[in-house]
Amino acid sequence: MKKTKSVVVVGSGIAGIQASLDLAEIGAEVHLVEKTPSIGGRMAQLDKTFPTNDCSLCILSPKMSECARHPGITLHMNSELLSIDGESGDFSVKIKENATYIDADKCVNCGLCEEKCPTKVTDEFDAELRERKAIYRYFLQSVPANYVIDPKYCLKITKGVCGLCEKTCPAEAIDFDDTDKEIAIDCGAVILATGIDAFDPLVYGQYGYKKFPNVVTSLEFERMLCASGPLMGHVVCPGNDKEPKNIAFIQCVGSRDRENAKNYCSSVCCMYAIKEAIIAREHIKGLDATIFFMDVRAYGKDFDRYYERAEKQFGVEFIRSRVAKITELPGGDLRVHYANPDGSKDTRDFSLVVLSVGIQPRKDIQQLAENTGIKLDEFGFCRTGEFNPLDTTRPGVFVCGAIGGPKDIPESVMAASGAVSRAAKLLELKRQEKVSKKEFPPEKDVFGDRPRIGAFICHCGINIGGIVDVPSVVEYARSLPNVEHAEEVLYACSADCLETIKQAIVEKNLNRVLVAACTPRTHEPLFRETLREAGLNQYLFEMANIRDQCSWAHMNEPEMATIKAKELVEMGIAKARRLTPLQKLPVEIDPKALVIGGGLAGITAALELADAGFRVFLVEKEPQLGGNFARVKFAFNGGDPQAFLAEKIREISDNELVTVYTGAGIKGIDGYIGNFKTTVALPDGKSIELEHGVVIVATGAREYETEEYQYRKSKRVVTQLEFEKLLAEGYLTGKPIQNIVMINCVGSREEGRQYCSRLCCAQSIRNALKVKELRPATDVYVLYRDIRTYGTKEKYFGEAREKGVIFSRYDLETKPTVEPINPENPRSKLRVTSFDPILGRKFAIDADLVVLAVSIDAPAENEELAKMLKVPLNADRFFLEAHVKLRPVDFATDGVFVCGLAHCPKNSAESITQATAAAARAMTVLNKMVIEAEGSICEVNPELCAGCGLCVEVCPYAAAQMDEEKGVAVINEALCKGCGACAASCRSGAIDLRGFTNQQIYLAIDSLETVEIEG
Amino acid sequence: MSDFEPKIMTFLCNWCSYAGADLAGVSRIQYPPNTRVIRVPCSGRVDPLFILKCLQDGYDGVLVSGCHPGDCHYISGNYVARRKFAVLKKALEFMGMEPDRVQFSWVSAGEGEKFSQVISKVTETVKALGPAKKLVKRIGR
Amino acid sequence: MSELTEKIKKIFTDEKLDILIGYEKGSLPLRGTPCFIESAEDADKLIFDSTCHNNLAKYLTDQKKTEVDARKIGIVVKGCDARAVVQLVVEKQFERENIVIIGVPCKGVIDPSKLRAKLRDKEISDFRFDGNKIIVSGENFQETFDKNELLSDGCLSCKYPNAPQYDYFIGDPAEPIASKDEYADIDEFEKKPPDERWEYFEKEYGKCIRCYACRNACPMCYCEQCFVDCSMPQWIGKGGNLSDKMIFHIVRAMHLAGRCVDCGACAAACPLNIDVRLLGKRIEREVAERFDFTAGMDFETPPALATFREDDKQEFIM
Repeated sequence: MKKTKSVVVVGSGIAGIQASLDLAEIGAEVHLVEKTPSIGGRMAQLDKTFPTNDCSLCILSPKMSECARHPGITLHMNSELLSIDGESGDFSVKIKENATYIDADKCVNCGLCEEKCPTKVTDEFDAELRERKAIYRYFLQSVPANYVIDPKYCLKITKGVCGLCEKTCPAEAIDFDDTDKEIAIDCGAVILATGIDAFDPLVYGQYGYKKFPNVVTSLEFERMLCASGPLMGHVVCPGNDKEPKNIAFIQCVGSRDRENAKNYCSSVCCMYAIKEAIIAREHIKGLDATIFFMDVRAYGKDFDRYYERAEKQFGVEFIRSRVAKITELPGGDLRVHYANPDGSKDTRDFSLVVLSVGIQPRKDIQQLAENTGIKLDEFGFCRTGEFNPLDTTRPGVFVCGAIGGPKDIPESVMAASGAVSRAAKLLELKRQEKVSKKEFPPEKDVFGDRPRIGAFICHCGINIGGIVDVPSVVEYARSLPNVEHAEEVLYACSADCLETIKQAIVEKNLNRVLVAACTPRTHEPLFRETLREAGLNQYLFEMANIRDQCSWAHMNEPEMATIKAKELVEMGIAKARRLTPLQKLPVEIDPKALVIGGGLAGITAALELADAGFRVFLVEKEPQLGGNFARVKFAFNGGDPQAFLAEKIREISDNELVTVYTGAGIKGIDGYIGNFKTTVALPDGKSIELEHGVVIVATGAREYETEEYQYRKSKRVVTQLEFEKLLAEGYLTGKPIQNIVMINCVGSREEGRQYCSRLCCAQSIRNALKVKELRPATDVYVLYRDIRTYGTKEKYFGEAREKGVIFSRYDLETKPTVEPINPENPRSKLRVTSFDPILGRKFAIDADLVVLAVSIDAPAENEELAKMLKVPLNADRFFLEAHVKLRPVDFATDGVFVCGLAHCPKNSAESITQATAAAARAMTVLNKMVIEAEGSICEVNPELCAGCGLCVEVCPYAAAQMDEEKGVAVINEALCKGCGACAASCRSGAIDLRGFTNQQIYLAIDSLETVEIEG
Repeated sequence: MSDFEPKIMTFLCNWCSYAGADLAGVSRIQYPPNTRVIRVPCSGRVDPLFILKCLQDGYDGVLVSGCHPGDCHYISGNYVARRKFAVLKKALEFMGMEPDRVQFSWVSAGEGEKFSQVISKVTETVKALGPAKKLVKRIGR
Repeated sequence: MSELTEKIKKIFTDEKLDILIGYEKGSLPLRGTPCFIESAEDADKLIFDSTCHNNLAKYLTDQKKTEVDARKIGIVVKGCDARAVVQLVVEKQFERENIVIIGVPCKGVIDPSKLRAKLRDKEISDFRFDGNKIIVSGENFQETFDKNELLSDGCLSCKYPNAPQYDYFIGDPAEPIASKDEYADIDEFEKKPPDERWEYFEKEYGKCIRCYACRNACPMCYCEQCFVDCSMPQWIGKGGNLSDKMIFHIVRAMHLAGRCVDCGACAAACPLNIDVRLLGKRIEREVAERFDFTAGMDFETPPALATFREDDKQEFIM
């Protein structure tokens, strides 16, 4: 039953934002419900992100503003979900919008109210490290940008006195009559993305948190490191304001702790601690950083390289030990008491101790579960299934982000897109015919007309006008050539002023507009829309930033600020003279998808797309579908992977929209987003050509063919997948199998494969438990380097130890050895020898069977496919996504997506999530009849092009290509993003960037030229 | 030379440094008013010719600022730019141009404070150098 | 018949060449001249010695530019010519399979401008090599020069006298002359105070008459329109303004960054003997030391400024 295209997303962290954006792009009407005054969530609090040290806010901010601006997304700020009634496809959701006492449409976030407000409270966004006022902006880059009043502390609201803000506000935005409102929303599906809380370390009394001021949590430390945080990035110890000499990070605070009911791994702390250690060392020269850990869980893509860099390049010290307690020394330094691997006790002194606090379910999760009617798992996370990781127990309600268990940012983003695909099939979504939902009058032809520029200089209340002499700037603008009209306006962005601009365009026949006000980053879209409403092409607009980059930055130098404002206006006018109308090229979309690879990921993606109504071609090189997953025999929750797979394959063959080509290979791929042509070689030697709009790469990976540990030499050595087959075929039944030795990290995490294969620790433990289940008398040994049972898989690690599975760690330098006991006998048992660091000596086991957790290898064929698709691979030959944090299923090349093992090693639930996400990302393209390319893109003048190919080399989007016939470069307008790298690299000036042309920039520079005449 | 107010051109990438400059303003962090700004999509858009044109036009200093390595909105624009700028800076320095006249920095969207520091530093050093003479175009020469 | 002509005849036939670019004896003494051979028999006139200073890659671009064709062209190359050919292939100026690269060992070439400077107005009618000496004679005079005095500056420190990539190599590879440290001039120059350095460049580039002989001689200058001729925007003025001249030379050097093979064609072509090589050499050094890149060594590596490494040095960033 599909009745509506509305959907409710609860929580607006990165997962909620991604889900909302994808849904809106597919054509849904999104209601995004957020408890706090800003979207952005936990990620907005972070300084940097691992393993690339990307600035968190830099990459998040564009998504935040896109989310706030998207016509398909309605923000419900300061709101909470009260109930979900009805059933899947036909819900009625009640939410409560709390009063903020500020009219967000009127607030110009000038901040005058905040200055006047007498009430100070601790700032929760800054981890309570600084104070804010009772009227405040949630954080400096908050979206929406407006101020809110905190009714808990506001004197006017609590005591009926004060009201200074109301008197101060120049925009009359404050409204003390505001009340809480209840709203009912009819929708087809609900996505929960309410995120997590950080563990409160107070229960660990032995670590002295809140007792010793120099013990801080990792989240507090994150804010301390952040350039826009309370310390402006100048890290000092809170107890004595001294720069720390050395820092200790204590891992697993609130994780992997059965006593405190935290029998799971928080998955992110090892990596963020490494990141914070590296960043801290960048901030403070000569700082020593030490991480006390149990296992380093650097299991994600390129995490191990980061770990290695931290140790080797940045000199971060790693000590494998659980810290017993922390004591304070006179002067505020701290003494860390810990045990060495051999059991002996030791201490170390530090200036600052950071507790790497874990992830825990939100405090109000029980309430949310009640309100939404979903069930939680034993840890308090949302309950989901191993093979349906995005579905809750209530049909039509989906989860994404860490609410479903610990996740890092890219996994949250993948889950978010995945949840979108799950929700989309419950919504009534038609293919969108038009790009814009709004109607505009036809555009006036300005070609050949002399520039007639209108200049509007904004006071922004007193934000600009209080510093810059606005009337003189207007006067100056008026004196410049081609300026037909110049006027001052109080708030350029206010509705009445936008009307003024529109009227002036019409009445004065203006064909270029300059607004000197705040920043184009937030306001350009608004003014461009105003131009469109007045019948002008939106690119005939230019902004001069005389607030954020002038009046606010030079408050004590009004005269200099005025000169600067004049010159910024003059430069803007100079550029405006040369502005030309630009069109966004419409690109028609062929609503069919090609999925390459018919393993678990490919099957999932194909079915998700077909369920949403799209034609899918599924190409698999093997004679049958299933890939590696066809060899997986057991699941953690007792589920049957092969029954699941069989069901999926049946669904595929029953689905008319999916055409499967098995035993087929990709011969060539041409085209671009919306319009691909692919040649597929069929097993009968013939080939066919498929036309489609998107490509999903799900080509998988394979087990490493090791030459170590007697593999392939002795029949008693198998891989974990081979072992599963043996177990399923009754290997243990009725046989006196005494010893099974598992060796982990075979091939992984060493020279040549400097990455973790991620799923093998859990796989080994699962298979070890299976042995214990089938034949408890058999001894199972697991030789490992680190146990990386991240997330809720940690509990199986505990269970395995309880059931008597023996774990022994080895180092790369002291790898175990495997030798036949009787070399003469090919069926001889094997002697496994290993050095145990806790025992401090070697030990030997005579094994009936040795099981190797071999690494997951990217196939060599990836290189060929990558070339055909013009997408990159990483150093390990896995496909490299567009952005490791925020675009984990996209390629930089539009219309091409990746999922499953082709991207990096991952378990089946993660493959399913990513494949579902890839389907959703594909739907954002396929559910449009036409998309718009960027307007400000590059163009080639073929007359000037010498065909050197430099542009092809520098273009990150494969938009610049060679026309081999003509020997000149061409720009694929559908792919160009307008960065201009090609234009800046072109020696002959054959390439230019529309909207930022050489000529425009030249004239902007030249407008302030001061030529000297030599006497 | 104390009353000399240098004129400095800055090219700021839209996604990081321009945003960092905005943040400095939003945070009311004060810095010298001597810079003029050209917003470009990416530091990779900046052709060395832009910089030379500024010097020829009599700007006393030029600053190009982009996203930190790895943060580029366009994936790799700043990396390519970094190579070009390295060579240009060395070439000008070799010729005898004061190296501080042409500067490059990475400022992220969250580094309002750093932005102000960069601008202050560039302004101070250029002020200390005095008005630009080298490469400035003079009519009649 | 020399080894050169004999082998080239065979190559011409075997490879079914349409044309071969090589050197012949020039009409002036000490000036080997480019020549175009269209049949194997013509090969007899080919020579190769220290008088063959032209970079033949330039003629290859010209050939390939005038006609869009698939003619198979053979080219006789010294180390620097070969690197220019390789770099031009990297820059997609012609198809690798249409070019047959024939390497010859180079013992350095005579810089015509140095010879001009030595002889003043005297006209030579004959010359002969005697080991490392060159004996030139004309009406009423005979002079002996050390060969190194007349060789192009680049040759004295050239590391690649032989083609790094070729289809055929005729003769035994030459040893580098290495009479001089490659960057000695640069090191020396960098010791001078900045103002003095600037004055030097103002003096040198100030001589420029904007004849563009340097550009026209350069095998890597093949743009359809040079930036100096661009009118939208007009980056630099047309006249003889010093600042404009300076910018021309800086930008030309920048445009050659990571592409220059230091063949010296620009310097040899300059009628005013402007030191056009110094800045280019400094940039080449920067590219080599910073990016570990030397132009024209192989067909795969993209030009240094068209690519990057994430860990490129960035000490110059504030």
